[in-house]
Amino acid sequence: MSPPRLTGALRSFSTVSKKEDFTEQLNDLKTKRLKRRELFAREGLTWQKIVHFCSEHQDKAKQQAASQELKSLLLAAKQIVGTEHGQEAIESAAIFLFETFHNKDHVGTEETRAIKQMFGPFPSSAAEASCSCVAQLVASLGESRVEDFIQTQSSRHNPQRGSTFGRNIAFSYDCYTLDPLEDLPCSGIHEEKVSLDF
Amino acid sequence: MACAQVPLDEQQVTEPGPLGKEQTLPALHPARKEERCFVPYKSPPEDGSPAEVEEFLERAKFITEDLEWLLALPHDKFWCQVVFDESLQRCLDSYLHLAPRGLDLSALPSSPAVADMQRSVHRTVFLTFLRMATHKESKDNFITPAVFGEIIYDNFLFDIPKILDLCVLFGKGNSQLLHKMIENIFTQQPSYYSDLDETVPTVLQVFDTILDKCGLYCEGATAMEPMKLSAHKQPTAMTMSQQELVDLILYLCDSTTTIHAFLDIFPAACSGFHSNGFLSRLTSFYETAVPDLEKALRKRNFDDKGLQEDLWKRLSHSCRKMVETAHLLLHHTCLQPILEGGENMLAFAEELLSHFTSFLTEKRFLTDYDEQFPIADDVSLLQQALPVIDETRTSYLLQGVESAWDSVGRQKPQ
Repeated sequence: MSPPRLTGALRSFSTVSKKEDFTEQLNDLKTKRLKRRELFAREGLTWQKIVHFCSEHQDKAKQQAASQELKSLLLAAKQIVGTEHGQEAIESAAIFLFETFHNKDHVGTEETRAIKQMFGPFPSSAAEASCSCVAQLVASLGESRVEDFIQTQSSRHNPQRGSTFGRNIAFSYDCYTLDPLEDLPCSGIHEEKVSLDF
Repeated sequence: MACAQVPLDEQQVTEPGPLGKEQTLPALHPARKEERCFVPYKSPPEDGSPAEVEEFLERAKFITEDLEWLLALPHDKFWCQVVFDESLQRCLDSYLHLAPRGLDLSALPSSPAVADMQRSVHRTVFLTFLRMATHKESKDNFITPAVFGEIIYDNFLFDIPKILDLCVLFGKGNSQLLHKMIENIFTQQPSYYSDLDETVPTVLQVFDTILDKCGLYCEGATAMEPMKLSAHKQPTAMTMSQQELVDLILYLCDSTTTIHAFLDIFPAACSGFHSNGFLSRLTSFYETAVPDLEKALRKRNFDDKGLQEDLWKRLSHSCRKMVETAHLLLHHTCLQPILEGGENMLAFAEELLSHFTSFLTEKRFLTDYDEQFPIADDVSLLQQALPVIDETRTSYLLQGVESAWDSVGRQKPQ
């Protein structure tokens, strides 16, 4: 709970601001994760493109192995996204895992957090499995080729926007701190003069 | 993309509609807003169980990511989002409400990761407000000033409590930028001056509430209404619960810091405060409340001596801010116009002297004020600017100041 503030009183008792209801919205993070998944699915890279990319530059034997890894990746994605979701959501999750692990050799804190922020709680074995699948795929294709592929296909890595507002503004993190006139006298208690003039 | 050299509020854009068919719309139109679903901010967990820390980090990451996306949007898209996305407004409002102030009891985040994330949110929120306060980003990207004034006012993008929050959260190191932002907001939408005028009585009510909670006679609040028969049963600073006393001091500390930050960053607001009799209410509040609260902090039995020390510092800090606020008000409404010269110098001098004279009865306030801002210095300035000032009057005033020091039993610093 936030401490009592002047601006809180002004919001409650004056008529100059909009009355906002700040009661806690349940599941707002869950809703947000769904929205992020929806936005991610629109970002350019598709599962078909990944499948095509993983098979086009390889001989037959390697193609079979790659196909097996891609299947395993989809399975791991299914475990992460949840079984109640359709094929589209599973493929989108697999794309996310492919992007997340394409330059990683293990599931670190950052990757765990990124997956959780997209899908919520997930079985760690599925993350391990997907990391291992992606590592196998990348090993046979070459890291730089995969990197180039992701850079060109994903709009997230290739933003079409102008410069960010405020990028060059020098922002200060300084904040107001206590600036007392005097410290509490050492004893903490001043003897008050007691009047004996009854 | 909207066309150049025409203000955003007059631009039209032709884009594919939801069914793929091209449609022409005003550049500022709700249909152009993107469904982003901004999440509201929550303050960092105090003791930080791992789950709470994780939730904070996730939420803060979403906010930073979304605000960075917003700041990278082209001018027209940015404004569509700002005006029509209620989730964005809730996110920004929740930050102003709940972001920890530097003066909060537990202002320090529990872990470096939390501190880093908090800093990221802090910066992106400020930049978002800065962009919202800018009606002209470049020669191609601008909004007609009057329309900008209407947009920010009618949609409550800024209001007086928000402006005060911005000052206390960001003012310490970004005062120049904040000054420009607030000046632009008030210039393009003068209704904010009326809102400020309406707000001052509520600010004064905060002081009355504190007096009331301390069971102290409060002229401003009670003169208009009969005193309740149960009034004598009201707790005082000595008898109220320790938590109530803590809350009261925190409230006072926050209020005085916020008011001072705002007036310091935007001195044009001083006249609004001044014309509502803020100065005399502030000084009488100081005179009544400060000794009472000091006594309670000294005399009450605190198990936690650290808390007692901390509350004392907060009360002392509040005193400094009240004294500095009084000085800001006098400086900007009386002294500055005298020093600048002008037609009404004598009237301003008269007003300044009359304020100083009124301080003579508020001895505790007077000595604290005189210690920080020696009245003799201002009187000397006044005499140089206006030699016609009545010397008898100034001598009486300065003698009054001296005797105030004697009567409170303090030694005036040399």
